[in-house]
Amino acid sequence: MTAIAAAPDPRRQRLQHAFALLIPAALFGFLVTAQWQGQQERSSIAVRYNAPLTDAAFALQKEQNDLKAQLQDLRAQLDQIQSNAATQSGAASELEKRLAELKAQAGLSPLTGDGVMVQLDDSHTVAAGAANLDQAICHSTDLTDILNTAWRGGAQAIAINAQRVVSSTSVYCVGSTIMVNGTLLSPPFNIAIIGPQNSVLGAFDDPSQLKDIKARRDVQGLGFRVTRANAINVPAYDGALTVRIAVPQ
Amino acid sequence: MRSSAGGIAATAVALFLGILVVTQFRSQDVYSRSLQLETPASLTTLIANLSDRNNSLRDEIFDLRLRVATARDSVASGQGSLTESQREIDQLKIFAAVSPARGQGIAVKIDGAFDDRAMSDLTNELRNAGAEAISVNDVRVGPRSWYAAGPERTILLDGRQLNGPWTVRAIGVSDVMHVAITRIGGIEGQFELIYPRTHFNVTKESSLALPAVATQR
Repeated sequence: MTAIAAAPDPRRQRLQHAFALLIPAALFGFLVTAQWQGQQERSSIAVRYNAPLTDAAFALQKEQNDLKAQLQDLRAQLDQIQSNAATQSGAASELEKRLAELKAQAGLSPLTGDGVMVQLDDSHTVAAGAANLDQAICHSTDLTDILNTAWRGGAQAIAINAQRVVSSTSVYCVGSTIMVNGTLLSPPFNIAIIGPQNSVLGAFDDPSQLKDIKARRDVQGLGFRVTRANAINVPAYDGALTVRIAVPQ
Repeated sequence: MRSSAGGIAATAVALFLGILVVTQFRSQDVYSRSLQLETPASLTTLIANLSDRNNSLRDEIFDLRLRVATARDSVASGQGSLTESQREIDQLKIFAAVSPARGQGIAVKIDGAFDDRAMSDLTNELRNAGAEAISVNDVRVGPRSWYAAGPERTILLDGRQLNGPWTVRAIGVSDVMHVAITRIGGIEGQFELIYPRTHFNVTKESSLALPAVATQR
């Protein structure tokens, strides 16, 4: 009896092995199909429309970087000519001084100083189809709210991912892409703020400020961090001045 | 022997399964922000925006090349670069909002409930549409301006209390700014949905005069 029970039945054993492999094999097939279909869905649209459009956007961004470099070079050349001329006459020297003051006020000069760094980032845990996705990612209005709070706190100069914030700066959102000064930017957004540290930190700590961002940080995991920082470098504005219509009175 | 071969096969399948589960999870479940994932409509808008910016940069490069050449010639002929410097000062005074400004543009009249965050959004939208100088109720918006909620539903601009109804004036190309604000799905339409009892009126103005920014820190 015991001997009969212990003897392995080869047919039954093969059947068990086959069943053991059946479920993983079915799952394997399902996942391969899902993966393949996912790729197909993305690529059929992407190849026809998105791929060339994305290439065009990247090409234009590269062209913009080149144009900005040319503009900076020409501004430096003009500065040099004016600086040389300033050594030759008192009137030119006065104008040179006034130019330097205005450039600093307008954000056309780089600045280094103590201040505050703010980092804003998408949540790294949110799922693509999640109902709360909108709450867990950065929006252009979050950036404008942060800028508003920083200026209110007495900021002297601000840059977002090295884009200097000036009088013409707009934070523009198309789909999930954010542009600052017409330049494509991706999160994390590092906002460098030069200004009186206690006053700027006080503005960010004020519970009545940035309520929405703070709530989303606490609940949805939105990245939002404010830290005191020293010797922050804020670059000069490198875009076009775009003063074409307005004239001084 | 057979049992060992089956075990190896099962392990290999399990390994592939693990890899695929991870790949599938990473490629589909975790949210990622990428230009490739934008819709063709969004990409077209982005491209239009980038093209506009690049055209502005090209215009300024062309203008600046002429100015550099003029300044070089003036210095070489012993006249100095005073004219060129004065021209740049005039431009910077507008850009830094330290001088009053005039020119064509648009006026946005807002009569009813409105708030500081909406005013900040409107200012941002006008800047994106190319506004060169902006004021709210005759107070100039500067490069470091900020808004806050004031008492009794008023709006503070750089600490100054502005009572409604508000008039936002912006100097720039009036046709472009008017379309940018009033287009279908634009900010005026959004405001009309959020503030249904508030009256918004956007008009093109052939001549606006805006004051200089009140304070410079």
